Amino acid sequence: MKTSYRWLRELVPGLEASPRDLAARLTGAGLEVEAISEYGVAADACLVVRVVSARPHPSKSGLRLVTVDRGGGHTQQIICGAPNVPDPGGLVVLAPLGAHLPAKNVTIAKRAIGGVDSEGMLCSEDELGLGDDHSGILILPEGTTGTTLAKAVPNARDTIFEIGVTPNRPDCLGHVGIAREICALYNLSFAWPSSGNKPALATEATSGLVSISVEDAERCPHYGAAGALDVTIGPSPLWIRYRLQALGVRSISNVVDITNVVMLEYGHPMHAFDLDRVADARIVIRRASDGEKLVTLDGALRTLVTDDLLICDGRGPVALAGVMGGASSEIQGPTKRVLFEVAWFDPRGVRRTARRHGMHTESSHRFERGVDPGDVVRVLERAVALTTKLAGGAATKGQIHVQGARINAQPTPPQRCTVHLRKKRIGGLLGVDVPFAKATDILTRLGCEITLAGAANEEAFVLVPTHRPDLVREIDLIEEIIRVHGMDSVPAEVPAIRASRDVGGREELARVARAAATSIGLSEAVTFGFTSERVLSLLSAPAPAVHLANPLGEHQAVMRTTVLPGLLDAVKNARRHGERDVRQFTVGPVFLQTAPEIAKDVELSREEMHIGFVLAGERPGWLEKPKSLDAWDAKGYAVALLERISGQSARVEPASRAHAPAHLHPRGAAFLSVNGKRVGSFGPLHPDVADALELDGEVLVCEIDLEPFTKGVERKQYVAVPRFPASTRDVAFIVKDSVPAGEIERVVRDAAGPLAEAVRLFDRFVGGVVPEGSSNVAFHVVYRAPDRTLTDAEVDAAHAHVVEEVTDRFGATLRA
Amino acid sequence: MAETDLGKTIDRALADLREAFLPRFRAAATEQALRDENAKILGKKGELTAILKQLGQAAPASRKAIGEKVNSLKQEVETGFESCLSDLKRKAREAELSAPAFDLTLPGRMPIPRGHEHPVSIVREDVVAIFRQLGFAVFDGPEIEHEENNFTHLGFPPDHPATDMQDSFWTTSGKLLRTHTSNIQIRALSTIEPPMAFIAPGTVYRRDDDATHSPMFHQIEAFLVDRSVTFAHLKGILAEFAERLYGPGTPVRLRPSYFPFVEPGAEVDIGCVFCKGASGVRVGCNLCKHTGWIEILGCGMIHPVVFENCFKDRGIDPEKWSGFALGMGLERIAMLRYGIPNIKLLFENDPRFLAQF
Repeated sequence: MKTSYRWLRELVPGLEASPRDLAARLTGAGLEVEAISEYGVAADACLVVRVVSARPHPSKSGLRLVTVDRGGGHTQQIICGAPNVPDPGGLVVLAPLGAHLPAKNVTIAKRAIGGVDSEGMLCSEDELGLGDDHSGILILPEGTTGTTLAKAVPNARDTIFEIGVTPNRPDCLGHVGIAREICALYNLSFAWPSSGNKPALATEATSGLVSISVEDAERCPHYGAAGALDVTIGPSPLWIRYRLQALGVRSISNVVDITNVVMLEYGHPMHAFDLDRVADARIVIRRASDGEKLVTLDGALRTLVTDDLLICDGRGPVALAGVMGGASSEIQGPTKRVLFEVAWFDPRGVRRTARRHGMHTESSHRFERGVDPGDVVRVLERAVALTTKLAGGAATKGQIHVQGARINAQPTPPQRCTVHLRKKRIGGLLGVDVPFAKATDILTRLGCEITLAGAANEEAFVLVPTHRPDLVREIDLIEEIIRVHGMDSVPAEVPAIRASRDVGGREELARVARAAATSIGLSEAVTFGFTSERVLSLLSAPAPAVHLANPLGEHQAVMRTTVLPGLLDAVKNARRHGERDVRQFTVGPVFLQTAPEIAKDVELSREEMHIGFVLAGERPGWLEKPKSLDAWDAKGYAVALLERISGQSARVEPASRAHAPAHLHPRGAAFLSVNGKRVGSFGPLHPDVADALELDGEVLVCEIDLEPFTKGVERKQYVAVPRFPASTRDVAFIVKDSVPAGEIERVVRDAAGPLAEAVRLFDRFVGGVVPEGSSNVAFHVVYRAPDRTLTDAEVDAAHAHVVEEVTDRFGATLRA
Repeated sequence: MAETDLGKTIDRALADLREAFLPRFRAAATEQALRDENAKILGKKGELTAILKQLGQAAPASRKAIGEKVNSLKQEVETGFESCLSDLKRKAREAELSAPAFDLTLPGRMPIPRGHEHPVSIVREDVVAIFRQLGFAVFDGPEIEHEENNFTHLGFPPDHPATDMQDSFWTTSGKLLRTHTSNIQIRALSTIEPPMAFIAPGTVYRRDDDATHSPMFHQIEAFLVDRSVTFAHLKGILAEFAERLYGPGTPVRLRPSYFPFVEPGAEVDIGCVFCKGASGVRVGCNLCKHTGWIEILGCGMIHPVVFENCFKDRGIDPEKWSGFALGMGLERIAMLRYGIPNIKLLFENDPRFLAQF
């Protein structure tokens, strides 16, 4: 909330703290001063001057030479282009030579226009930084020549705090509330503001001018009204105008400005009606009927529902209660009779209505948080007194207060809350000893009334003021005590912690997966949990289990069932920036349909941790001709990743065309499994999918379900290091391309028998001596026995069997 | 041939060989040449072997003497060979050592290029590690949550400004994407008996998408519940945390603030880490808005209403337990640590960005 330091000083005359010190104290007490700005800096440098004469510029049309008196008979000549230079005797504002105008970022210097010198500038509000009026120069109604503008018009100079008022402190949404808080913090006495005038009384009683009925006392437990007659609507005096403008509120007219000033003062929104425009002189507070329409002051046509509360006159709705008025009864130039409304609306209802209609107003902001139900009389009196002072006329006799069925000139005071406070709870919770007398003194300063209780007076019953709806239980009082006492007074003490055990295990799983992925050269992408149905279906992922009711857009309308969308977005973004090489992974949950047997969380989705990666671009290498990453790179990364995460060996199962996941290339899709359980898939993205996602090129993808590995990496068992030498034999075959290498490898392994420790494909090529449609495949076979050195004869026999089996089974020829 | 002639012949041959073998060895320029030369003398068909073969023709009485001469020369040859060989090896080594330096300005060769953890993950693991050292364990929970766990049981009043409906993503089945990791407090307190000390790192969602907000971000919540946990304990943990994450001597300041589920509640500032001079004085900078302080987290004593909601019908007396909770946004900590000016950078996954961490 924008807060005027000057106003606070008026409300708390004993306050001596500078703006900076006050800001620090308020921040330290929970009213965070987020920014401090200066209003009307130019008013310190600019002077009130009297127009002595004005004549046209000799050569420039539209300009005038104005001679002004700046006090003590000193006159100066200024060139002025404004259309409203007053007649001699009028008071205007001069920016003298050397004055700086921050609003326009200019420093006034002597200059000549058409051969005539100008020694300064006559200023508009806009140039002075006081408002946005630039239609002409500022003309003052009164003032002493030669004094600064800041002295002549008090509120033209101020320091403004931007205070972040937390939602529990509606009392601080007005200057009076903040002043009261300052009095508590600085231990000063608080006094209510006064207009210094007793309004003239009209003969008419307020109750005779208007009838008020409240049909929903739950939503409007208190509706108060007071009136003023024979008022003259006109512009506000400058001190009101600048007070409002310093706080970011446009000055409109005296009576409208009064409602705003009083709201900024007491934090209690109010409304002014032109009584002559209230149909049938009748005000009804009722719920809307479904489909009822109202045009609010912002010009929008609102279609209402029964949960909306309305202020109506004899014709129909005139305001959305607590949120915004309508145009039909607003104050206008000819208004003579004014009725002020000060009410207390149910905060939850106001909030619902404001949300529903997407409105957030100064009024709804305050009602939602809870205005003081105890200040209705005082706020009405203040508004009426200010009105008779600034707009003339007289107050109508008495106020009207409607509280349910009761209609009275005086309201029943609202219920106040009593809270039991125990000394031992204060120290027990804060860990610092605040003397009980000190604690109750703090509460007294905050407006509470204390009744000591208990054997040793170490307890108290605390009667809470109506402006503090947040104080309802003991803990609320303890917070007040430490807030005012100062959190700095609490020592820092490291507790002895009785340790807990991890619950869940996703964090550890994700950490292991991240470490595995980065160790093989993948970089981590952080990807969004939401995506679109279209993308999920393109990626042949399960249909979404969770749809958002209020997504930011169709592209983020469902929760993902695969982690690939975010990774593919990353590829797309990278390629848009000309980066072709992307090797990224992401770890996070997918959101799946709940298994029906889970009872308590039945409506929540099943969240399962997945890791996915994308490979795009060229294989990293050095001084080699770069080559594009291909399906075998995907396989290498996938197997390495899975084995590091699981601690077990991973199996790759090429997918048949019929069973390949639809988002993968039908020639290159494969499944990953561990321990016979399928946990993922990988392969080149189907080119149609890549096109549909506008990926501009080939991408390899892999996704692995991490849930089977929540128990952590499988522990290894030591295997004895071989003590006897191995014999390695190489063998090469020419086989038909239709024979998968893995098949040959399996046959080699089987044929080599138990002596074969390892079989490894080490070469594969086509062309040259190899006939078309066939390829040369070569294997290392390592033979070893754990208990002896093998003889050549043993190895030869095993190896001969290998050659025989492979040639037999695949019609392969041995390459010499 | 006469016996003595043979003896003389052998003697002469031995003498010749003795004269010649070293120069011959030294003339060899390579190891192979040296070995060849050696074989010419000592090999099966070598010169010395040939001499030895003549021994059979010598008189038996002189055989022993001749044999000794041959063997003695053989040893001399072997020694000479070894010494020449070691000379050659040393020369080769020296030549290798004095050859031009490797061009180490060429790029390094890596088996695989390094992968990079996301800055948010780096910070997350650092913070988790600190709290684990302090005695906290990790409690996981879902990202899609019941309203009760995310708001109601935490004491958010219904239709209250603190529960900003526009702020949450709701699912069509009336659940929501959790707006903070505080849901874990509710899950832990309503399923486990105190005492407990947990942290909850996780992904959270708010319906905000502008220059300074991302609709998805990350938080870590930490909470301790035990008999007589005090606000002083909260300050103790905060001080430890700040020193461990930001270095010894990092000051901590608490400012009273409001979160519905803690009371007293506070926001926590640490002394600005950017404008701290060598003397420890903070001169003020743009990052701390010239205050010398930077806000990093929110905290407070767990509100009694949270205990009441979670212990209801379980025979646990809420008055007998107290606790604190604190929560921080990981993006903010990462941005401060690495000087990342814009939160959006964290979610674009630009390879040129990720490669920096």
